[in-house]
Amino acid sequence: MMRFYAPLLISLVSLPALGESRVEFNRDIRPILTKECTACHGGVKSAGGISFVFRDLALSKGKSGKTAIVPEKPESSEMIRRLRNQDPDEVMPKPKHGPPLPEAQIALIERWIQKGAEWQEHWSFVLPKESPVTKLSNESWPSVPLDRYVLQHLDQKKIHPSPEADPAEWLRRVSLDLTGLPPAIEELDAFKKACAVDPKTAREHAVDGLLASPHLGERWAVVWLDLARYSDTFGFEKDPARTVWPYRDWLIRAFNADMPYNQFTIEQLAGDLLPNPTAEQRLATAFHRNTQNNTEGGTDDEEFRVAAVIDRVNTTWTTWQATTFGCVQCHSHPYDPIQHDEFYQFMSFFDNTEDHDLDDDYPTMHVPDDARLAEKASRLELQIRKLRDELNQTGRTLAEEKTQWQPFVPDAFKPSHGKLLIGDDGKIHTQGTLPVGAVHELSGPAPQFQALRIGIFPENDNPAKWPERGSLISKLDVNLVSASGEKHAIALKEVFADQVSGPFPIGPDCNLGDYPKLHGPRWFVVVPDQPVVPKDGDRLEIRMLQKASTSGEQATPVRRFALDVSNQGEWQKVTHQPERLKTWEEHTRLSKELQEIKGAKVPVMVEGPKRQTRVFARGNRMNKEQVVNPGIPKIFGGQTGEGMNRLDMARWLVSDNNPLTARVMVNRLWAQLFGVGIVKTQEDFGTSGTPPSDQALLDHLALRFQHDYKWSMKAMLREIVLSSTYRQAHNASKDLIERDPENRLLARGPRVRLSAEMVRDQALSAAGILSGKMFGPSVFPPQPESIWSSVYNGAKWKESQGEDRVRRGIYTYHKRTSPYPSFLTFDSPSRDLCTARRIDSNTPLQALVTMNDPAYIEAAQGLAKRMKENSSVLDGQLRRGMLLVTQQEPPADVLAVLADLYRDAASAYKQTPDAAAKLADSPEAAAMVLVANTILNLDSALTR
Amino acid sequence: MKPEQFMRLQHAELEHLTRRHFLSKCTTGLGAMWLAGMTGRAWGNAGVLKKDPANPLIPSVPQFAAKAKRVIYLHMAGAPSQHELFDYKPELKKLNGQECPKEFLEGKQFAFIQGVPKMLGPQYEFQQYGKSGTWVSDRLPHFSSVVDDVCFIKSMYTDQFNHGPAQLLVHTGTQNLGAPSIGAWATYGLGSENQNLPGYIVLTSGGKNPDAGKSVWGSGYLPSVYQGVQCRSEGDPVLYLSDPAGVSRAMRRRSLDALDRINQKIATEVGDPETVTRIAQYEMAYRMQASATDAFDIKQESESTHAMYGTQLGKESFANNCLLARRLAERGVRYIQLFHWGWDSHGAGANEALNGGFKDRCKEVDQPMTALLKDLKQRGLLEDTLVVWGGEFGRTPMLENRGGNDNKFIGRDHNPGGFTIWMAGGGVKPGISYGETDPIGYEATIDKVSLHDLHATLMHLMGFDHERFTFMANGAPQRLTNITKPGTKVVKGVLS
Repeated sequence: MMRFYAPLLISLVSLPALGESRVEFNRDIRPILTKECTACHGGVKSAGGISFVFRDLALSKGKSGKTAIVPEKPESSEMIRRLRNQDPDEVMPKPKHGPPLPEAQIALIERWIQKGAEWQEHWSFVLPKESPVTKLSNESWPSVPLDRYVLQHLDQKKIHPSPEADPAEWLRRVSLDLTGLPPAIEELDAFKKACAVDPKTAREHAVDGLLASPHLGERWAVVWLDLARYSDTFGFEKDPARTVWPYRDWLIRAFNADMPYNQFTIEQLAGDLLPNPTAEQRLATAFHRNTQNNTEGGTDDEEFRVAAVIDRVNTTWTTWQATTFGCVQCHSHPYDPIQHDEFYQFMSFFDNTEDHDLDDDYPTMHVPDDARLAEKASRLELQIRKLRDELNQTGRTLAEEKTQWQPFVPDAFKPSHGKLLIGDDGKIHTQGTLPVGAVHELSGPAPQFQALRIGIFPENDNPAKWPERGSLISKLDVNLVSASGEKHAIALKEVFADQVSGPFPIGPDCNLGDYPKLHGPRWFVVVPDQPVVPKDGDRLEIRMLQKASTSGEQATPVRRFALDVSNQGEWQKVTHQPERLKTWEEHTRLSKELQEIKGAKVPVMVEGPKRQTRVFARGNRMNKEQVVNPGIPKIFGGQTGEGMNRLDMARWLVSDNNPLTARVMVNRLWAQLFGVGIVKTQEDFGTSGTPPSDQALLDHLALRFQHDYKWSMKAMLREIVLSSTYRQAHNASKDLIERDPENRLLARGPRVRLSAEMVRDQALSAAGILSGKMFGPSVFPPQPESIWSSVYNGAKWKESQGEDRVRRGIYTYHKRTSPYPSFLTFDSPSRDLCTARRIDSNTPLQALVTMNDPAYIEAAQGLAKRMKENSSVLDGQLRRGMLLVTQQEPPADVLAVLADLYRDAASAYKQTPDAAAKLADSPEAAAMVLVANTILNLDSALTR
Repeated sequence: MKPEQFMRLQHAELEHLTRRHFLSKCTTGLGAMWLAGMTGRAWGNAGVLKKDPANPLIPSVPQFAAKAKRVIYLHMAGAPSQHELFDYKPELKKLNGQECPKEFLEGKQFAFIQGVPKMLGPQYEFQQYGKSGTWVSDRLPHFSSVVDDVCFIKSMYTDQFNHGPAQLLVHTGTQNLGAPSIGAWATYGLGSENQNLPGYIVLTSGGKNPDAGKSVWGSGYLPSVYQGVQCRSEGDPVLYLSDPAGVSRAMRRRSLDALDRINQKIATEVGDPETVTRIAQYEMAYRMQASATDAFDIKQESESTHAMYGTQLGKESFANNCLLARRLAERGVRYIQLFHWGWDSHGAGANEALNGGFKDRCKEVDQPMTALLKDLKQRGLLEDTLVVWGGEFGRTPMLENRGGNDNKFIGRDHNPGGFTIWMAGGGVKPGISYGETDPIGYEATIDKVSLHDLHATLMHLMGFDHERFTFMANGAPQRLTNITKPGTKVVKGVLS
């Protein structure tokens, strides 16, 4: 099974001729190793103790005691001997894995060893470098520096670039590429006129206008929403609604404001950890809260918390590094030099957030309906949290450093369910079935005390087995019971905890414990309002009600606990300090102020107490191994340290010594404009991905983006769309198509299929019915009945009214388990997971959508109306239709075909006025609707 | 034909086909996949299939000659209880009402059971049927008549105990989202024999979609063209199949003619092979409008057929879907996936109780699934159609005590440790029971079969070596039988 892992490498990388003297590891040797060897001698398996992923292993002795590669000595290198061996037991690859290597390849490896077996890291793990272009066949062709690289490549292949596209073709292309919308006819006319005078200025003017358009953000946000796996629902069984559209709006604003990509990166990954984060910076972190929540009854919230954390790791690597990091979850990377432990070091950056697969998406931030209050609400939230922490800290220090605790050992137990007993460890244990609502009641001779400490412990003492099922006291009653049986409730003043976190507020009203999971031992100190001074014979009675449960009515009772008391006066002093009471009042006041602001609760990243991240053996969360510190993999200049956090990680991504971030992003921009990336596998720049079609071009663009343009996406887009390369006509000769079917060499202009959203937006725009309304909750354009039928979820597709029916596609409600059907048909992903590349398909179902979907009939009706309004002559009307949809001036024969269709349809509709009435108010108008429907289905309408 | 001859033939055929199309038509998308194949054979050594990018659903030959040409998969969503249908355990009857022994609970994770539940004996009477002497409960009076055509696997197990993830595992080989479903692999590998219908059709009944949503028939990392197409029993069976109001067939034809003429011109001028593909897809759509409408018109069936299935015209039902499944199988649809929802018999409410809704579910499926087998058989289709029936896990031999309390009705919790599925037709041994659970039907013990083993077996029956039928994604050659789960084997004991 070793031979077919990276087939694309071989087909695209040409082997150097044998006579050529320099052997380059990445170009010549690595592709052979990856294709023929690393499946057995790689990161997963290193058969015979040999791996060709790491140089030191390739050069060291194998299990046989022989050395695979001895630099400069091919004759002593076991590898060469085995490659040439005729003995079926000895030859590599083993016969069952494939035929022997061609002699030319063996000779190449031999020569590489002879020259010293120089190793290079995989191209994308090495920083990009500029390789200036010196000689060109036509110095006047390039408009911008990137054109020099393209032309150099074409010169090598002895291909000429194509002539310039006519202004209409270019304007359609650039308008749809930058804003996702076709140009208006007025814009087209003005542009053509301006081109006649000064084409360069005309183009620059047009591009600057498009870059300034608010619709740019709407078009580019779609690309990012696929990566962010954005959805308006949770996913899984019930697939309930999630309010996260404010993040989508954040994205649109970020693109429109041309937020530099480094800032764009840091804010989405760690905006919450920036000093004094703004509301926008916190909202940006919803990027990683688009993970799925499973609210199915009886699911383990830790399982899906971990799944979300792992998804965040994988999404981060796919989005910013185009590296298939997910492989490393179970074992070291099969081809790339990344070790198993390094996955968990990286996971540690994401392991500390407070979200826990809860049904209410906790933790959320308050996003006010009135945008002007956004900053205020966010500030209030942070302030409230800070005050609460400060208030708790006083007691924490007291409890941990200054208090002498005496155990309170109860001698009588009255549990409502199961059994309570004192274990060998001196702690109180439970036995039996403890359903929701179980009460632990216990009592003992009352001590005198001013503070009561409740310690809650996992049943298992081995931290590698944590977390356990949650343990939460919903209500705590502390009573003094006199010898005569009289009961006095002790008023509780305050509660302190080892940490203030979790979805429920901690206080005398309760919620003591850990929910939905118990992550380790916890303690809570309950301070009575007055010192407790019992009389002789008084008993202290403690009742703990536990009525919380996780989804599926799984109870979360306290199963092992201990009680201690202290009679130190500090506790009373601290809780009765006038300043403290003022702070509490302030806390209450601010909370009320926040509550009064109306708005939405949007899930964001909130850092909680640090978790101990452990390596999962073979990726299995139930089988945890050693604890790891957060860290960056070694191959990327790895840094590891206990103190590192998500912000450090985000900053590393956009630092000067990250070899991938800029390359991956310029490649993404390029792929959006040219239909295919310079690296075709936008999601994988590793050894298993495809190599760049032109690395010098990619590196040039990456450096230009990162350094010259300081991460400005608009500046980068501007340069590309104004290039001579992009400006070429898209028509291609048969010869060129055969030579370069995917246009990787760029000897012609791009011709790219419209995206799912563009197909819809263009039709509505050409019909003159597209709403320009931006932002806000997602909308429900018409869709056929009974598409939605999630279990245990009464949600209905409630068709939007008014202009919300005809908003841009980006605003369409996305339900994970049931995405908008016509988008799905046009290859938009379900957004279950990060999608770096939509793969175009071409199916009859797409034709059914654009021919028959009522949304497209409505568009045809609008378009027909506009055609008729514009001219009283048929040819003029048809021409108008073609210009509105394709921007192309239709030649006479096309007009003739459409005119014939119109006349035939009109005469048919005259015979069948009832049918005509279903489309329009006259047979002629109905015929025009049919023509408009036809135009909207033209190949040139569905491409840009 | 000897296997080697067959292999050579299919290689030659595919290679010819793909190269020709590639040169004339392909530019984007699948092109690169095909390009990969330029250096190898149609089936690469690691099992990478080269597809004709212009006709992604054109029928292609599997890796070796196989019995199953198509699959009908009947998924009982919610997980039916093996204890009340097929896995008869007299021992369990004796334990009824007793507290569950501690060793049954240690190290176990339940969705709903808490603390110490009571054991629950089988709720219905069992008898042996057919020459095979197969035990079937009295809930399936029709089905008990065809047991000699059926192969039961009683030793299935899974590692997921929640519906969503467990259904994903059944259909995609992983509990996580993002992997292709069995049907997507089948249509990717084999294409479809009818280009005028979707190659992979999904029909649901019971009022709900499966718990994991559309991902259970998704295409995952395979191109989206291989995802299941959910067809509906109300409105258009395929979305947007009907011509718009006011557009007659003739009018549509007329407009398509105009469209074709202009697109032909564009194809010549621009030279983009995608345009040629698009022209073909519009023609195919036009034909699909007629043939899908025809395929879904069950009114064409005789009264006796309707009576046999127990169909109710105009209503969404499992019976109607079974009849549709046969009609689609006849028409060469590659993979037909049915879901019937409502088998989650916890006992928390009447409709999800063994003494409530469960009885109705049995009634809803018993006659139609029996009719489907008989009908396929009488039409000679059962030979090369593989029918699979099953849920996503089993149910506990214990009575559920949700929230630690007694339920109102009788029910059982989820049990990943053991459950029963059955298969019939296309290459499986009829009239046998394979594997066993322990004496109380709790865990598979003898000849255990994982879902991955089942997948390997399905692939084998369709003509694929599950280890060599792969697709490069996420940095590794992925396959239906999850690459992170080694040790997967074809269940040889069920092959005919």
